[in-house]
Amino acid sequence: MTAGPGGVNETLTEVGQVHGTDGATAVLGKTDHGDDGGQQSKSPRQIAFARLRKDRIAVICTVIIGLFLLMGIFAPLIAGIEGQNPTDPHFDLIGDDNLPTFYTSGDHWLGLTANSGYDVFARFVYGIRPSFAIALIVTIVTTIIGVLLGLVAGFFGGWIDRVIGWLVDFVLSLPFLLFAIALVPIMTTYLVPGGQPTSSEVQKIRIFAVFIALIFFGWAGLCRLIRGEVLALREREFVQAARSLGAPTKRILFKEMLPNLTSVILVAFTTSLPAWIGAEAGLSYLGVGISLPTADWGLDIALGQQQMQAFPLPMLVPLVGLLILVLCLSLLGDAVSDAFNPNTRR
Amino acid sequence: MTDNTTDAVEGAGAIDISKRAEESVVHESQRDREVLLTVKDLAKHFPVKEYSGLFPKTLQTRAVDGVSFDLAKGETLGLVGESGCGKTTTGRLVTRLLEPTSGSIEFEGREIAHLKEKALRPMRRDIQMIFQDPYGSLNPRFTVSKIIGAPLEIHGLVPKDKIKARVQELLEIVGLNPEHVNRYPNEFSGGQRQRIGIARALAVEPKVVVADEPVSALDVSIQAQVMNLMSQLRRDLGIAFVFIAHDLGIVRHFCDRIAVMYLGKIVEVGDREDIYEKPQHPYTQALLSAAPDLNVVRGAVPNERIRLIGDVPSPIDPPSGCRFRTRCWKAQEICAAEEPPLDPEDGKPSHTIACHFPEVKTNLVAEADAS
Repeated sequence: MTAGPGGVNETLTEVGQVHGTDGATAVLGKTDHGDDGGQQSKSPRQIAFARLRKDRIAVICTVIIGLFLLMGIFAPLIAGIEGQNPTDPHFDLIGDDNLPTFYTSGDHWLGLTANSGYDVFARFVYGIRPSFAIALIVTIVTTIIGVLLGLVAGFFGGWIDRVIGWLVDFVLSLPFLLFAIALVPIMTTYLVPGGQPTSSEVQKIRIFAVFIALIFFGWAGLCRLIRGEVLALREREFVQAARSLGAPTKRILFKEMLPNLTSVILVAFTTSLPAWIGAEAGLSYLGVGISLPTADWGLDIALGQQQMQAFPLPMLVPLVGLLILVLCLSLLGDAVSDAFNPNTRR
Repeated sequence: MTDNTTDAVEGAGAIDISKRAEESVVHESQRDREVLLTVKDLAKHFPVKEYSGLFPKTLQTRAVDGVSFDLAKGETLGLVGESGCGKTTTGRLVTRLLEPTSGSIEFEGREIAHLKEKALRPMRRDIQMIFQDPYGSLNPRFTVSKIIGAPLEIHGLVPKDKIKARVQELLEIVGLNPEHVNRYPNEFSGGQRQRIGIARALAVEPKVVVADEPVSALDVSIQAQVMNLMSQLRRDLGIAFVFIAHDLGIVRHFCDRIAVMYLGKIVEVGDREDIYEKPQHPYTQALLSAAPDLNVVRGAVPNERIRLIGDVPSPIDPPSGCRFRTRCWKAQEICAAEEPPLDPEDGKPSHTIACHFPEVKTNLVAEADAS
């Protein structure tokens, strides 16, 4: 019998049932109505979310992330207040040394970038969009692939497990950066027969390259994690019970097992989202991913870096934005994992 | 409170025993049983990899190796034996959670030993299982209503809007508050959880229930309640049980027939009285004499205790001939050379013994009334 709240109550209930069974003839239908039955009780997930709401860091991080998201969603409005467009060059405000002629002004709140003279504030507001969108799509796609393959590998075992295991090992042993950077010229060679891509083709190829690189490398870790969890779950008696009831495999995988994996999946999701934001920014910085004139934080860091000694703002603004966003998402991910596994609380 | 509990349990037990005695008299007289389940030469070998030398060798663990028994309508067969003798594997083969390596399982005249999952589904309704661990056998993410409703949904027994009512009915049958349908398993005690497991098994109105040590994970006081519940269900619903246990006292109370297993084989099968009062196989005798006797505490002279020497041999490489010979005090040359068949020895076809030198030994266990 479990200790803690309700323990005594349960004991009394059990004793009540003993007296019930004593009657031998009238046992069927004899029940214990002494309890506070009736109300909907909390599922483990609800308990975890209640715990999360009490975590101050989690709440602060959620608010900051929410603000960033609002900024991305209402970017045209916010940039409209300043009256600037992120993709409009201002060659008239650029001096002969390719640097802007002023630091900040009433028209350009955070100044201009070198060479083409893009507005830094407008680019900051818009720049969260590709980072977040790409990271979110990549995280969702990799989570789906990883969970599905992990479920299948862990549940069926045998040669299916071995084949998926090889794939995971293969993907994890490839050098990520080399693969991602090499992808752009390789794709250009194969997709543009003439070898002279137009700028819109270059943009498309680079964005595709980012998706392919991140998704290709993203699913493997989660797949391995889920496979391990499924191996443990498969031997639990409730799965055996479902089988002995004649539940189809689909039902066992998605109705019996998947709800028991939600905490693992949610934790993996919240921790990989900031990682992919960072990765997307990094690849855009290196020239895979987003290309000019589209605003993107990673790209803007590369852009601002050219003038960082004279005009540090164009580099610092997207850098700090990226830092805060990734930090908040990471802290939130940790908080989520703590909320679901209170035993591992630090 | 403790006193109350003990009194109540003992009282219930006494009534139970007297009833059981009457029933078994009836049972003894009518030997023409309606057989539901026939198991013949059932074997399950698990492959084990042994890593010695350069290449791993695949060996076979003979968890169950040629088990035969049958089960009649409404009858209760006890499967007893020490840990690792293949009781649980036998139970899982009968419910077809495992596919047997060889042998046949016939249910109502239909061979189900090698049926595919789809073809098995209708049979799944008729043979249900109660699991040992009430903490592991209920999905922690499901409410009681979803757990007990699952079989109804899978087999489409009840229209969707009536599932909840049926679940509440089932909860009432197993003695739980029907208002608790929306609770999660972690809000119940072990005994209550086991009742939920029983309700789930009952949901499909099975003909056979395989109970795999259903009470061994529970407190002793709660064991009695759950056992009484199962007796009740057997009486009211006429379900046949395969009852797997290592607690000889419980088996004696609950089972009509008992099969004793050793190292993947059945060594002796018989009616309850034959096994407990006239055991003939040396292993059965040793097992019975090892059961603790409360009368000794009360001052009675302890019965002779048979002490077995050595360990159970590995099921990977079982001994030749009789598997018990390595620990048997009667072992002779023939025991190593020839495997004893499961034969009736005292002229009763219902009592069979797999031994070359069977011999009746009485007074190994205390009287049923005292235990």
